[in-house]
Amino acid sequence: MTTLSQLRKLILGETWSLPIGVLVSLGIAALIREVAGPDGWWHHAGGYVLFGLVAVALTVSLTSALRRR
Amino acid sequence: MAFVLTLLGSLLACGLEMLEALAIVLAVGITRRFRDALIGAAGAAVALAVLALILGPVLISRVPLESLRIVIGAFLLLFGLEWLRKGVLRLAHLRSPSSSFREFVEEQEELESLAMPPEGRPDWAGRTIAFKGVLLEGVEVILIVTALAAHPEGLAPALIGAGAAILIVIAVGLFLHQPLSRLPETHLKYLVGVVLSSFGVFFASEGLSVHWPGSDAALLYLAAGFALLSQAQIHVLARRAPVPA
Repeated sequence: MTTLSQLRKLILGETWSLPIGVLVSLGIAALIREVAGPDGWWHHAGGYVLFGLVAVALTVSLTSALRRR
Repeated sequence: MAFVLTLLGSLLACGLEMLEALAIVLAVGITRRFRDALIGAAGAAVALAVLALILGPVLISRVPLESLRIVIGAFLLLFGLEWLRKGVLRLAHLRSPSSSFREFVEEQEELESLAMPPEGRPDWAGRTIAFKGVLLEGVEVILIVTALAAHPEGLAPALIGAGAAILIVIAVGLFLHQPLSRLPETHLKYLVGVVLSSFGVFFASEGLSVHWPGSDAALLYLAAGFALLSQAQIHVLARRAPVPA
């Protein structure tokens, strides 16, 4: 394994599903914030929405790890 | 609350990463020469110090606060969720347990196949392996500490945690190898995953204009949330793990 691919593995992890999941979660959260407005319900509950999105990303990543076995 | 969790996150993450670097340096030192192993490790430490000196100030001075929180949150989520994913798979017996001692033994076996240079000549193979090992493990340490230190009041606990981790790892190195094989690394790494993921959601949300009820105390219920979620995942996955013969 080259140093560059080791570095990528250290920063992004062993799979692509998790970094993509994090990126998609943050993207969806930013989109909802734009639609809902920063001062409405998002201001108080947006954190739980992001937690939920991240939880889904982790679950999807674990499921794909299990499927590869 | 944030102080204690930042310190804990920095201490555990840095300690565990440096333990892996230590395993490589020791393997080089024992199999080849300690002088060359230490030269390689020192070279990597200098490169990492330069990276830390550049990365921290650039992030803090160039990136606006809201964007900075999202960037920090994204990095912490990347690291935290990866540690959590591996922790869940290990605790569900779907992946072999984490062991710096095993890595040390494997590294030692690999190094034994490399030819040694004559006495008095530098051992570039040994130096390169020690340099690369410390550099690669160190980059993650630098990114985690920079991310934890970049939020308001995060600098002191992140640096104290990292400093304490250095001292602990040196102490472990001095009394190797029994303590290395006894460490519950799988559980510690799982705990780091929970802590870093909680910080990741907390900072990224703040960057997206979220106000957390209870302010810093939100880190506690986020950690509890990640612990509950991952324990449920371990429970479900463990039932699907192959039964040992």
